[in-house]
Amino acid sequence: MKTILFLSLFFTTIYAQHSESSLKILIIGKVAKYITWQESHHKNFIITVLKNRDNNIFDTTYHNRKIKHKPVIIKYIDDIKKLTKTDILYISSLNSKDLSKILQYIEGKNIFTVSDIRGFAEKGGMMQIYFASQRVKLKINLDVTQQEHFKIKSSLLRIANVLRGDSTNE
Amino acid sequence: MNKLLNKITLSTLLIISQTVQADDDIFNESLEDLLSTETELKADIGSRNGATNILESRSPIDVITHQQIQTSNLTSLTDILRYFVAGFNAPETSVADGSDHIRTFTLRGMAPDQILVLLNGKRVHTSALLHVNGTIGRGSSNVDLDTIIPSSIEKIEILRDGAAAQYGSDAIAGVINIILKGANNKNIFAIHSGKRVKGDGENVVADSFITIPLRYDGFVNLSLQMKSQKPTNRAGEDKRLKNPRVTTHVGIPDSQNFLATLNTEIAQFNNLLIYSNATLNYRDSKASAFFRPSDHSEQTSLLYPDGFLPLLDAKILDYAFTLGVNGEFGDEIFWDLSNVYGYNRINYYVTNSMNYSLGASSPTSFYNGSLSFAQNTTNLDLKKDYNQLKIAGGLEYRYESYQIEAGDKASYIDGGSQGFPGYSEESDIDKDRYSYALYLDTTYLFHEGLSLEGAIRYENYSDFGSTTNLKLASDYKILKNILLRTSISTGFRAPSLAQSNYSNIATFSGVRSGTFQPYAPISQELGAKALKAEKSQHFTIGTVYKLTSSTTITIDYFLTDVNDKIILSDPQTLTQEQQLKYNVEKISCFTNAVDTRTYGIDIKLNKNFIFQNSNALDVTFWYNYNKNRILNNITKENSFEQIDRIENGQPKHNIKLLSKYTTQKITYTLNLNAFSDYAQVKENHRYWFKKQLITDVDISYKARKDIILSLGSNNIFNSMPNRWDGLSTQYYGYDSIKPYSRYSPFGYSGAYYYLNLSIEF
Repeated sequence: MKTILFLSLFFTTIYAQHSESSLKILIIGKVAKYITWQESHHKNFIITVLKNRDNNIFDTTYHNRKIKHKPVIIKYIDDIKKLTKTDILYISSLNSKDLSKILQYIEGKNIFTVSDIRGFAEKGGMMQIYFASQRVKLKINLDVTQQEHFKIKSSLLRIANVLRGDSTNE
Repeated sequence: MNKLLNKITLSTLLIISQTVQADDDIFNESLEDLLSTETELKADIGSRNGATNILESRSPIDVITHQQIQTSNLTSLTDILRYFVAGFNAPETSVADGSDHIRTFTLRGMAPDQILVLLNGKRVHTSALLHVNGTIGRGSSNVDLDTIIPSSIEKIEILRDGAAAQYGSDAIAGVINIILKGANNKNIFAIHSGKRVKGDGENVVADSFITIPLRYDGFVNLSLQMKSQKPTNRAGEDKRLKNPRVTTHVGIPDSQNFLATLNTEIAQFNNLLIYSNATLNYRDSKASAFFRPSDHSEQTSLLYPDGFLPLLDAKILDYAFTLGVNGEFGDEIFWDLSNVYGYNRINYYVTNSMNYSLGASSPTSFYNGSLSFAQNTTNLDLKKDYNQLKIAGGLEYRYESYQIEAGDKASYIDGGSQGFPGYSEESDIDKDRYSYALYLDTTYLFHEGLSLEGAIRYENYSDFGSTTNLKLASDYKILKNILLRTSISTGFRAPSLAQSNYSNIATFSGVRSGTFQPYAPISQELGAKALKAEKSQHFTIGTVYKLTSSTTITIDYFLTDVNDKIILSDPQTLTQEQQLKYNVEKISCFTNAVDTRTYGIDIKLNKNFIFQNSNALDVTFWYNYNKNRILNNITKENSFEQIDRIENGQPKHNIKLLSKYTTQKITYTLNLNAFSDYAQVKENHRYWFKKQLITDVDISYKARKDIILSLGSNNIFNSMPNRWDGLSTQYYGYDSIKPYSRYSPFGYSGAYYYLNLSIEF
């Protein structure tokens, strides 16, 4: 019995290291509960993924899941012009060259943009996901979210790095 | 038997249930919890095709994080690697000329120049120093790791595999890639003070890390360090004196260091990234030679009636500067163009000495000349992913130069300054060479859990010709949590410019002996040949077993054969005729003499616990076994010391047990480091030095969120190596000036106690 207790202590899975990709994709959905869209477009909660390589992780993560009490639908597109109604647009780092065109295209459409492109928040994106010291971190451009009429709960702003005008607050 | 089966079944069920639960739980975790979750450890080393999770890499990789560096409270990079990496050896030598001032290090018992060191993925220049005394690493030049400030480091990646087919020369025992801190760090100021158990060796270090954020996650990071290390002395009594007393300094040298490390990235809106880093180190380090008792001659007595202790002062300047730019063109083709310039110069001065041949009119202080080495490396890298196929390749051009500058005439004529004779005009040299390389590295991902990597590199050196090297590596997940990995490769190490061009003549105990270039007339007369590259073959096979998501075991076997390893030959006594002709009695010269085989195993276990109250316990167990053998027949009578240094001079077994228990306010660290016995040859006889256990402890108290006060000790129980067993000569022996072996993996200065204050802002 002592041996089993020892082994159970040794093998206890309380603590885990997760892949950057899976954490990033989970967080895209997690932040939704802190955000209020101007109007609810549809019955489903739609995340559109623009030109990405880890699509199977999106499928496995959000299969049969709900966000804001709505079933999650994941759409994949490889060209911004194919974008249909969506709540969140995930812009993968493969789009970094075309970022300004993408952001221009969705301006005024009340779409919450998320990306891990370097400098995304400063370049006019809404929420940037980045990694530092083996932790995932968020950077939110509050000006852009307000321009697009999003309301963001203060509890999210407290744990994110917030860009406001020319200033940055942890 | 039934009881045992029940235990195994119950434990297995427990593991399975908890693993499944872990996978399911993550979706239900809060955003706050996800943001505090530790992500996978990734490394950029081992493949040119992008960073990989170290538990899914095709070759064994270890990572030391900046949190580990910070909590270790160590102020030297060499010590940090020795602290965390089993099989990494960095002895502290003394009375060994330049080797006292630039620490040598080995991995798996292989030579210091068989380890490639990179900074942010770019080759770091070696020191100009060639270890020519009987230290570990004799005959090689190594990178001076202590030129980089620990607080500037984000992580250290250690590839335990041959990788010359990817990175070129020197990547034989492994590759150490030092990654500097990037964006999103805090400013740090730290002050460290400590001393040895005997009250000497006071060490005071002031350290700062300053970061300035720039647009688009760009940054300028500047680290500065001032370090004052007072000497230790563990010398025995000098039996040559009528009334024996301690006359010589045997221990850590007296050194003052200034270091600066800069890392900057300037990102443009169009994804163009301009990056740069620089390191600077100025070191003034003083150590002694053996005491010279008074010979009661008229000339000597006038200057030093009671004898004298010559002091060698090495003033070392080391700097490097990298400038690069990268971006993307066409259809997701990533490019990177960079240039790295590195320079190391050692100026030698001898004080409190004399040149016997000049009698009472001899100066007592000398400039003994300098060694310098410069390296400039230009790379163009390209990378492209085609779904499952990743291709990376590039071009490299490297220019190297090596100089020896003669010292004052009085420092080298007729025997030269006592303690360390200066470099003469005959040694004065300025040599250079260039090389270019083409390389390709491709990875094909058949499916998740099966990949194959192939790398090829062609390299042409202006001095010894060309070489092509290959590597094949694969990983295969036989189960979701069990990965098998293997690699096979060839490699090489180009002879260094120092090995090809170093020469010096010294007089010790009345014997005039010299190191000559392989192309010098005397060397040619004795049959020396121009140096060629060392060639190597590598094989590794291993497994990664993720018992649970918090428990990992890695087991890796390695085998490395090196042909034509370059060594500095033992001094060869010349014939009377040759002695008259060349004015020297013994000569040594670098030669491709040795074929070696190194094999062994690394077993590593990592376990992390987080308890209900958020306290955490991290435990790492790491066992390294390495055996080095010489395969070819070289004259044992002439080279017994050299052979034995390679085969038995370093511990074959090393166990590290690293543990850290973290509460909200206090972090407790307890590390055990055990290594097996090792031997040193003296007077043609092998002397063994016993296994040792070194214990390190540290208690760090978080006074506020941003202020940490630490109290700790390295080698708290003052474990000392045993003295020479049965040897008693004038200089070496249990009752002599040097009572301990210079091979001792943890030196012989004893326990070190310290206080450290760190402030983040």
